[in-house]
Amino acid sequence: MAYYLLLPVLSILVVALQTTIADIIFSGRLVIEISLIAVIYAGFRLDLFKGSILAFVFGFVFDCLVSSVIGLFTLIYLIIFVASYAVSLITDTQKLRLVALWGFVFALVEEALVILFYNLILRFDAMASIPFVFLPQAMVIGLFTPVFFYLMRRLEVYIYGKPLHRLERGGDSRISAEI
Amino acid sequence: MFIFRHYKSLVLIAILFVIAIIMLSYNTRHRRADSQTDGFFRKLVLEAAAPFQKLMHISSTSISDSWEKYVYLVGVVEENKKLEKTVGELEAELLRYKEGHLEAQRLAKILAFKESLPYDFIAARVIAKEQAALSKIVIIDKGSFDGLRIGMPVVSSAGLVGRLIDVSWNVAKVLLIIDENSNVDVMLQRTRAQGIFSGMGYRGGVLKYITKNQDIAEGDEVISSGMGGVFPKGLMIGRVSFVEKLDTELFLRIRVAPYVDFSKLEEVLVLVAEEKRRK
Repeated sequence: MAYYLLLPVLSILVVALQTTIADIIFSGRLVIEISLIAVIYAGFRLDLFKGSILAFVFGFVFDCLVSSVIGLFTLIYLIIFVASYAVSLITDTQKLRLVALWGFVFALVEEALVILFYNLILRFDAMASIPFVFLPQAMVIGLFTPVFFYLMRRLEVYIYGKPLHRLERGGDSRISAEI
Repeated sequence: MFIFRHYKSLVLIAILFVIAIIMLSYNTRHRRADSQTDGFFRKLVLEAAAPFQKLMHISSTSISDSWEKYVYLVGVVEENKKLEKTVGELEAELLRYKEGHLEAQRLAKILAFKESLPYDFIAARVIAKEQAALSKIVIIDKGSFDGLRIGMPVVSSAGLVGRLIDVSWNVAKVLLIIDENSNVDVMLQRTRAQGIFSGMGYRGGVLKYITKNQDIAEGDEVISSGMGGVFPKGLMIGRVSFVEKLDTELFLRIRVAPYVDFSKLEEVLVLVAEEKRRK
């Protein structure tokens, strides 16, 4: 229950924090989308129920605070959650190199969906932003995803005494409970 | 097997998808600037985030301020080794006064600007800057309780800043003119040629739909044309920084450097009523 009560507050904190970090490090030019990394983390580590709610809440808060079109990131985060969940079924999500790669890929997926929406629905050509905004941002997310996963693993070990693993994957050798 | 084991979760995901799609299609259909439809939950999130954003804005400003002051003071100390302590104290005091003086200057500028225009304004402070890949948004500390409504233009002493796209009770979201989703009807002050100013993020903006036979030069000033009914006529937007004529294209390729420095935006004015002096 505490998870569902804390989630909205946590999501607001994360979205506000990521903008502050972006302002300090990149002068607002790039954003380290911690919220997106959290959604990927949810896809890799949490169960479908908790993870989908996390993706929805993070997307909605991101929409309310950052986006000019409400609902866009809510939908995109849900898509990325489902995609990352599917990826976690076939990939070893304990390897940080793979985590970085998937972070980069999902950041590109998010940006491709944003471009698609702007092009098809708003009739706005956002292609010019690919080399200046989207690619650097995807690379930043790719670099920060393993850091986030590493920190979360430390937190899991601190709280539960061992890294978190999904109940529905009990017995699945790909997800190890060992450190 | 997987479906049977997780049918509850899958139903939940399906419901969340449907909600997200409904939200998105509703908001895409009702994106008009004068739209007054704004959801309760959106307001709630904006209100709940405001204290965190204020806190983080203050912390980030004080971190960068302290760093700048530190670098500045190290320079002073090196130059004046003999008067280390005294100069250090005096410099710290001077910085405090300087900050106050700069703020007074900024506010005086805004006040003078406010008086010079025939509109009613509400002054507001920027409490957060929210940026995503294509979004350039700031949050201000005034809301519907202060008389703000969605679609109202926002200006600073340097020129047009943007327009309100979300208004909560005590805070509001401003879509900056450099947001890639923002379009403003504009004209060139010298030639009166009309076009559309579209945001390009931190790279400024582009001026669209100016035909190749128009006389445009670098340095030409761009102002709002008053068309479209969102922004009043004559607000300063920026200066033409680059013009290119391509044989293969119908229109000129024009880049515009906005007058407003969006990275240093602290105080803004929201235009609440037009033509106050005619009443």
